[in-house]
Amino acid sequence: MRRRGSWYAYLFVGPSLLGVVAFLLLPVVIVLVLSFFDWELLSDPSFAGLDNYARLLGDGEAWHSLWVTVLYVALCVPLQTVIALGAAMLLNQRVKGVRFYRSLFVVPWMATPIVLGLVWNWIFDPRDGAINRALSMVGITGPDWLSDSAWAMPAVALVTVWQYSGYNMLFFLAGLQGIPQELYDAAATDGATPRQRFWRLTLPLLNPTMFFVMVTNMIGAFQVFDTVYVMTNGGPSGSTAVLNFTIFETAFRQFDFGYASTLSMLLFVIILVVTLVQVRFFGKRTTYDLS
Amino acid sequence: MTKRILLYAALVAGAFISVFPYLLVVLTAFKTKAQLNSTEPWLPGLPPTLDNLGQILGGDFPRYILNTLVMTVLLTLGQLVFTTFAAYAFARLNFRGRDVLFWLYVATMMVPSAVTMIPLFLIMRELDLVNTWYGLLAPYILGTPYGIFLMRQFFKGLPAGLEEAARIDGAGPLTVLVRILLPLCKPAIGTLTIITVISSWNSFLWPLIITSGDGTKVITVAIAALKVGIGVDHNLMMAGGLIALVPMVAIFIFFQKYIVRSVVLTGLK
Repeated sequence: MRRRGSWYAYLFVGPSLLGVVAFLLLPVVIVLVLSFFDWELLSDPSFAGLDNYARLLGDGEAWHSLWVTVLYVALCVPLQTVIALGAAMLLNQRVKGVRFYRSLFVVPWMATPIVLGLVWNWIFDPRDGAINRALSMVGITGPDWLSDSAWAMPAVALVTVWQYSGYNMLFFLAGLQGIPQELYDAAATDGATPRQRFWRLTLPLLNPTMFFVMVTNMIGAFQVFDTVYVMTNGGPSGSTAVLNFTIFETAFRQFDFGYASTLSMLLFVIILVVTLVQVRFFGKRTTYDLS
Repeated sequence: MTKRILLYAALVAGAFISVFPYLLVVLTAFKTKAQLNSTEPWLPGLPPTLDNLGQILGGDFPRYILNTLVMTVLLTLGQLVFTTFAAYAFARLNFRGRDVLFWLYVATMMVPSAVTMIPLFLIMRELDLVNTWYGLLAPYILGTPYGIFLMRQFFKGLPAGLEEAARIDGAGPLTVLVRILLPLCKPAIGTLTIITVISSWNSFLWPLIITSGDGTKVITVAIAALKVGIGVDHNLMMAGGLIALVPMVAIFIFFQKYIVRSVVLTGLK
């Protein structure tokens, strides 16, 4: 049976579909096609078959770039999820001025990226920066941070965690506020400890929020660009050259659009696989039905 | 009592960590070039100067702020209207291909921005829209998958029976959406508004690639340009950054009463 209002539905979805097809799907198709071409902007594209993919297999720099990306994701996503959840639980208390604190926690997400990059470069300055000065007060000689290839990546990751924890806190906060107080009251009556309440009640009930936050964070982390671009420019010696940055370099500095497209397909497939794994993982977890 | 103190200590510490880098922005914006070199970075330059703010606001910057404002308002309006319609259809209407289409939208979120930038630029070049308002706005004004994902989750959380009574009275989907569902959605709309306003205001890569003239230049690009001129003018950059941040904080404070209690994200079904 054809449901009433079906044509309305297409009308409602229509404009966004036009946007998605023209500005997201079409570009992906173009990239897919270009990944089989050799094209350096000035010359005409010429068909290269699987050459770009063969080159990718032997390209140590690309695989290093992928490794750097994985490292970045592994540092950022767990940290910023845990901090966001902790901050949300903190800001879900009945405390005087809680709205004010909530605003302050979100401020890092509102800044112009390029200004942030500059400020954090000062803070990480080996000699005069706030961090190493604070460390020297307790007798520790801090590393050179952004110019040390071992510490540059953790430093960049730290800045992203700082930037996005408060933003993700918003979603957890909303999720926490959606949990009925009666459930906690009942659990307390049954003698559940705070720890049990967290693991058995709060966390399972936050599953949908957790799903949204994990999926969007993971996708975002794999695509990090701004922070790297303004803070380290991929250096020192490639230690922060994440895949998205390498793609940008290959396309807009070396004008090797064909190979940049191949690298793009690699990143896309990886994100797709990781997201599917997450969907399966969260899909299996029990969600209490409260309706 | 000790618990209370610990709670406040954690709040103050969190707030401090969130805000302290801005202290540098504010302090530097009110310093002269000489003071920047002679004073401690974490101490104010005395006497504070308004020259940087004056120089920024006296130049072409107000025009870039106006451009950014126009871009932000148009993108937010477009996002609110088209995202709401699409999310409503995905969440509460039945139509052929609905789920396939929705997952297609979610899949497009996985496409790296650097991936789409190249072909997007090529498409705009074919359409002759490079360095125009149309080119700047088109990719984002019809609603984004991220916003639709968010709003759909919200619409799905509303009780199922809501439309039925109205339907029996002969109301069409549009009436149901405008009269019944939207009034219940204020918090979600508040959240979407904040997210769209702030991300539009701060968008950088696409405006950088697609625009070049003053007529469409936005503040992020203008601030970045201060970096590539002759030497980096830190004082001016920070003054620009400060001017860009203030309206966002004001907007957040204004809308935050709507956003909490809003996105109760329901199951992804």
